[in-house]
Amino acid sequence: MQSFRKPLAGVDHPQMDADVVIVGGGPAGLACALRLSQLIDEHNAKHPDAPLSKENINVLEKAREAGQHCLSGALLDPRSMRELLPGFEKEAPLDAVVQKEGVYFLTEKSKWKFPITPPPLRDHGNHVISINRFTKWLAKKVEDAGVTIFTGFAGSELLLNDENVVGIRTDDKGVDKNNQPKSNFEPGYDVHSRITILAEGARGSLTKQLINRFDLQANRNPQTYGVGVKELWEIPEGRVAKGEVIYTLGWPLTRAEYGGSWIYGIDGRQISLGLVLGLDYKDPRTDPHHALQSFKKHPFIAKLLEGGKVVRYGAKTLPYGGWFSIPPLAGDGWMMIGDSAGFLNSQRLKGIHLAIKSGMLAAEAAYRALVAGKFDAAHLNEYPKAVENSWIKKELWPVRNFHQGFEKGFLHGLFHAGLQQLTGGRGLHKKYPSHPDYEQMERIEKFPREDTSRAAIIGPARREGTLTFDKITDVYYSGTKHEEDQPSHLIIHDTNICNQRCVREYGNPCQNFCPANVYEMVENSESPGARQIHLNPSNCVHCKTCDIMDPYQIITWVPPEGGGGPNYDGM
Amino acid sequence: MKILVCIKQVPQKDAPLKLNESGSWIREDVSYEVNEPDAYALEEALRQKEKNGGEVVVVTAGPARAQQVLREALAKGADRAIHLEGDEFVRLDPASTAKAIAAAVKSENFDLIFTGLQSDDYGYAQTGVLLAEVLGWPHSTIILHIAKEGDGLKLKRELESGYFQDMEMPLPAVLTIQSGGNKLRYATLMGIKQAKNKPMTKLGWADVASAVGKNGLKIERLYIPVKQKRTETIDGPPAEVARKLVDKMRNEMRIL
Repeated sequence: MQSFRKPLAGVDHPQMDADVVIVGGGPAGLACALRLSQLIDEHNAKHPDAPLSKENINVLEKAREAGQHCLSGALLDPRSMRELLPGFEKEAPLDAVVQKEGVYFLTEKSKWKFPITPPPLRDHGNHVISINRFTKWLAKKVEDAGVTIFTGFAGSELLLNDENVVGIRTDDKGVDKNNQPKSNFEPGYDVHSRITILAEGARGSLTKQLINRFDLQANRNPQTYGVGVKELWEIPEGRVAKGEVIYTLGWPLTRAEYGGSWIYGIDGRQISLGLVLGLDYKDPRTDPHHALQSFKKHPFIAKLLEGGKVVRYGAKTLPYGGWFSIPPLAGDGWMMIGDSAGFLNSQRLKGIHLAIKSGMLAAEAAYRALVAGKFDAAHLNEYPKAVENSWIKKELWPVRNFHQGFEKGFLHGLFHAGLQQLTGGRGLHKKYPSHPDYEQMERIEKFPREDTSRAAIIGPARREGTLTFDKITDVYYSGTKHEEDQPSHLIIHDTNICNQRCVREYGNPCQNFCPANVYEMVENSESPGARQIHLNPSNCVHCKTCDIMDPYQIITWVPPEGGGGPNYDGM
Repeated sequence: MKILVCIKQVPQKDAPLKLNESGSWIREDVSYEVNEPDAYALEEALRQKEKNGGEVVVVTAGPARAQQVLREALAKGADRAIHLEGDEFVRLDPASTAKAIAAAVKSENFDLIFTGLQSDDYGYAQTGVLLAEVLGWPHSTIILHIAKEGDGLKLKRELESGYFQDMEMPLPAVLTIQSGGNKLRYATLMGIKQAKNKPMTKLGWADVASAVGKNGLKIERLYIPVKQKRTETIDGPPAEVARKLVDKMRNEMRIL
């Protein structure tokens, strides 16, 4: 019997005070910390008599090292970095400037090249980066500036005082499989902070608590997501140029799915290759990892990869909802930035620059609040106001309805996208409605077994060994490692639903949508013939797809013991 | 007791490793971590300090990135750190590393020096033993249990096949610590914060070069074993086949 992670009763939590705690050390959180540090430096130069301290500005990062849980294609639009650190190009680890683009439509056996690159996919001037290396570099900047990044610590609970967020509790360490403290048990800290900034990435667990507690998604579109699965490859030189970008649409996805694939040339030998799939798909058998494996089998792609080898694997969700899904960004004692808030341009498939910019704007509001000594919503709302007046809104407003237009499939989507292009983003409706991804999934009986139109993306991928891999092999390449003796951090609130209802109604789609083989249906030892859910939490790559996608919303992803997770070196 | 713990930074254990262009070592683009056996050495040192008082000092020899393992040790409770910083320390043989560490700490009068059993990267299991030799101290290896008794120590060390050895030893001494004897503690938020203000002494190659002398070991070539598969059929009556098979397993495959 699996035990699920839960707060331990009767434990005294040590206390720590902070001025600002930033939960998450990705691009958004680190940019926020760095901008705040810059403002404090300027302030202290001007007011040596009343200096502000950086000692109590803390960044918490659940990975063992900053950047280890960061995953993206990645292309960086340098706009916000130029504002944060003018001249950053000279010292940041940027692999290549985009030199050459091509967009293709794939059918199973052939390809068709778009005569021109559609404007949103034009990437001249953007940089191919490893977001892992980029984040490590940014983390060093933050530490050098005098802000402490606590790596290996996750935010596990929000601390609330009535309507105020007053800090966070970090994860308990040293809890065994049965939720009992081990001899090295270390209770989580209660970090009491004047400002709490959530920068957890897509579907952050504290962000989810906050949104539910204050019903922040009311009057907004629900957030919708995509999942990206990626492999880093080394291939013989001369096939994909440094700075070359290839996008593909079509196969292996069908017209019922929203998504596409990418290949980025990193240095002439290494390429980033991946596939994003909107989680608003309908067929519960859909398996994003399988889709990526099929993509590699396309003759066009297989030829590029021939003789090469895989270096890394990873998967992560990204928020697609756009402007109308962004919740209120600040309240009493808190702000929300980056992917946690949903700052992503789903038309350009880019969010790093927006994450950084949102972090910077939140830092400016935090700075003014620190100077004023007031941390209520009235003061922290400077941040959403600044977003309204910034180029973030200018960029996101024209594409505010983009993804929603695809809810009824690819052709509908193209129609709406075209119409929106002509009407400054409005299209047919002022605000296109949307639905949570899990509501889009349909019952398994609607999809006859013999329906083979989706054969390339449903069920587990077959492993061939050099070009295609099964999930277990790819999980190995993700470098994922967790303390084994700990309760499951994937919490299923009622496993009877999995074993009795879901098995009939949806065929346990968790086995398919999880890109890391965490969920398995195994033989039930007590009643032969029946199957029951079994979890492999140690495989989890922290993508959050399960939390988003399970059709009954009975899975909650909470952070495992800090330090565990994937190792996205070079991703 | 004043205890020195030698800690090494090694490539992360499960990281897929790639060879560098010249095939002389792995590519540096991996993540690094504390050599796990050294983490057990630190744990034992911290427990000794909790029991007997004193001071725990940590030392590492390696490039700037290796400072991370010292910071982690300070966050867990070590009192101060010594960093032999420089790329020169990266591929030293164990004897040279031992000489460098000995030169760096000779003026300190430690009662005990702990190292991990071996490193996860090279796995020589030599540096601690050679360090004792350079210092002219006694040493013992694979230590599971340490108790201070009067002026000396009572030790329990692990032997092969489930045997243990109880022994006594005078101070000062060098001990290599068996992994898994204790549960490792976690660094706390407060520990990490306090570690920032703990002293870290930096020494360079020039400070110890004269003591080190010539590096005696050089890796000529590193390669990934070529996968080989050979099938052989043994014919004959079952008894004879069995006899031949056992013979092969014993003398050719050496698995019996």
